[in-house]
Amino acid sequence: MEMDSLPNGNNTAGTPISATATATANPAPPQSSNLPQLTESLKLEHQFLRVPFEHYKKTLRANHRAVEKEMSAVISGVTEAAAADLSPDDAVNHLNSLVCRLQGLKRKLEEGSRAEHLQAQKCRVRLDHLESADAENMSEWNNTRMKRILVDYMLRMSYYDTAVKLAKSSNLQDLVDIDVFQEAKKVIDALQNKDVAPALAWCADNKSRLKKSKSKMEFQLRLQEFIELVRAENNLRAITYARKYLAPWGATHMKELQRVIATLAFKRDTECSTYKVLFEAKQWDYLVDQFKQEFCKLYGMTLEPLLNIYLQAGLSALKTPYCYEDDCTKEDPLSQEAFRTLAMPLPYSKQHHSKLVCYITKELMDTENPPQVLPNGYVYSTKALEEMAKKNNGRIICPRTGLVCSYTELVKAYIS
Amino acid sequence: MELSTIKDAFDRVTKKQKLSCSKTQEAIDQIRQEIESVLDTLQSANNTDHELDYKTVLNELKASFLLIAPLSQMEGTQKELNVALTKYGKLLEKHFNPDISKAYRNIDIDRHTLNQIIANHFYHQGLFEIGDHFMSVVGEPESAAIMKFPFVEMYQILEAMQNQNLEPALNWASTNGDKLAQSGSDIVLKLHSMQFVKVLQNGSREEALHYARMHLSPFATSHMTDIQKLMGCLLWTGKLDRSPYHALLSPSNWDKLAEELKRQFCNLLGQSYNSPLSVTVAAGVQVLPPLLKFMNVMAGKKNEWQSMNQLPVPVELDREFQFHSIFVCPVSKEQATEDNPPMLMSCGHVLCKQSILKMSKNSTKVFKCPYCPFDIDAAQCKQLYF
Ligand SMILES: [Zn+2]
Ligand SMILES: [Zn+2]
Repeated sequence: MEMDSLPNGNNTAGTPISATATATANPAPPQSSNLPQLTESLKLEHQFLRVPFEHYKKTLRANHRAVEKEMSAVISGVTEAAAADLSPDDAVNHLNSLVCRLQGLKRKLEEGSRAEHLQAQKCRVRLDHLESADAENMSEWNNTRMKRILVDYMLRMSYYDTAVKLAKSSNLQDLVDIDVFQEAKKVIDALQNKDVAPALAWCADNKSRLKKSKSKMEFQLRLQEFIELVRAENNLRAITYARKYLAPWGATHMKELQRVIATLAFKRDTECSTYKVLFEAKQWDYLVDQFKQEFCKLYGMTLEPLLNIYLQAGLSALKTPYCYEDDCTKEDPLSQEAFRTLAMPLPYSKQHHSKLVCYITKELMDTENPPQVLPNGYVYSTKALEEMAKKNNGRIICPRTGLVCSYTELVKAYIS
Repeated sequence: MELSTIKDAFDRVTKKQKLSCSKTQEAIDQIRQEIESVLDTLQSANNTDHELDYKTVLNELKASFLLIAPLSQMEGTQKELNVALTKYGKLLEKHFNPDISKAYRNIDIDRHTLNQIIANHFYHQGLFEIGDHFMSVVGEPESAAIMKFPFVEMYQILEAMQNQNLEPALNWASTNGDKLAQSGSDIVLKLHSMQFVKVLQNGSREEALHYARMHLSPFATSHMTDIQKLMGCLLWTGKLDRSPYHALLSPSNWDKLAEELKRQFCNLLGQSYNSPLSVTVAAGVQVLPPLLKFMNVMAGKKNEWQSMNQLPVPVELDREFQFHSIFVCPVSKEQATEDNPPMLMSCGHVLCKQSILKMSKNSTKVFKCPYCPFDIDAAQCKQLYF
């Protein structure tokens, strides 16, 4: 924003200087078009497109693997039959069973391709949704974005039912990832019941990708299972278990492995703090957190809920030293205690251009509505002061100090 | 943004998926046909008592599978599909910001505070059922009632207005008439005007006149032109849509009136008109892009970011997020503070105190205003309060 730099009356020569000075310093973006801003904000929607895409890919991969497996089985079924000495009847029966299998496979393929189609549809709906954002009319779209962000938060916090309710009532099912989180829910619920089986199954399902990201999720689950065997004083089984499932991790995680194996010597009621923590219930919470992180990574989600990310950035953008004063306007979120609390550890905003807001009308003071100074240095917009003068016979009363003066005593301020 | 490129890439993925699927089906069918034709041969041999070497037939079948090579047939299309998938994934990474948490400061957000904010947002938006559900899930159903209470009446009024029923709104306005007048709102007049037009539209001139005398006359002096216009409508009873006043019938008037009512209602409640959560998130959407760009540039200095007292990059916020006056000294480019306040010079230009001290060599000499040829005496400068 730039204001008229023409000084009070007697000097016109100053204008061109200040005009060029501000123009070269920092050209303000044109106010008329929000398009670049919209484009920038759409670039933040990576997760929105990535999650259904990863889901789609996963289904494709799984379906393909299943088909390959079944086909190989049928082919080797023929090879085996050719090698074996079958009676004519057995050979016919065998071939008939293979035909049945192929029919079953075809049905499965059709089912699978229907599921793939639905997920592809979801990917496309999201692309369309991004495309539907219209710079001139964003309120509806922004409203939906807020809801999407809230559903994401609730899903991550395991408030599934509320998330589903909100998504349904606003018809957002295709724009949020409830189905993906259902998969996580099963694993998390089980972990909270001290059951690692679904988590291990999940690790097996995603083995190659977890390996690529050097995840040690499975190792941690195995360690926990081992600890549970020690807790139950099932030492022989614990040792067998360790040989089978922990030893393979020895090459990369020797230290942790040794520490856990050592619990065999200490048992569950150990007072030694190094080992005591391993038996604590919060280890299970830790596993839940660990799983959530792995899960988010795998689907290309941010590790933090979207809400936290946007909220933090927004609080910083809005945070000014004036926000913590009593006269912070109630339209400012930071006038509220809850928002102030969250903003406390965050940095203040930074702006490049002066932006003056009239204390009385809350309107921007610019060339159209320039700021005027009272004799005590308090500044208000021309509009507000004119209005006040009209109502009070030319008298001006400073709303913050009570000072009374005449409209003629005001001077204009020129802000560049 | 190149959304069309991205969409094209995705269309390619689905095309390849369909191709791969039909190829697989073909392969399955082919194998099945081979087996079935062998079965036919075996069966017809059975019927004719013709001697047949089963082993040879099965080995021939095995050989034909080797020839058909169904798995490698599928592999080709599968590979093409994989290429398309990889390409689409890369496009997403290129055109979007793959990690928007790069500018996130790792601090614990108080969950209770955040949940209160979220619940308040639901009530503020009139999503009462969701709000109640949320509060019971997070285990704070007690505070729900207090939080939603003020908004319940507002949404009842707004809902009635959607059905063009002004009764609840008028009741509210008459109960709060004094407070509304005090805050300078003319919503009462606006509601009565709307009701008057409604009465008039339904045809009865007498009724409308009666309504005007009852409810509009108190505004006769303060809002003379508005009232005159409304009375003019009386001449067009039954054909208001063809009158000079047809704009009064526009359905958008109802939306405007509802918005104004919400504004005044929130104002009396001491609540903000917009949900503070929505406002903050919208502001976050605006600052994240420059912030993320900055984080990419100074990737190595992540620790510095964790302790910064002010954002490292200036943000350009829309008018709707500007709640306080910000003065940036045009000379030093620094934001004014209590210790370095804005000062009005005798020419009318404004600089920060430290810039003035610098240019005046600590108030020892007169200097020229950088924006006009005026000579400035530091002692004559006046501190401003925006
Ligand atoms: Zn504030
Ligand atoms: Zn000057």
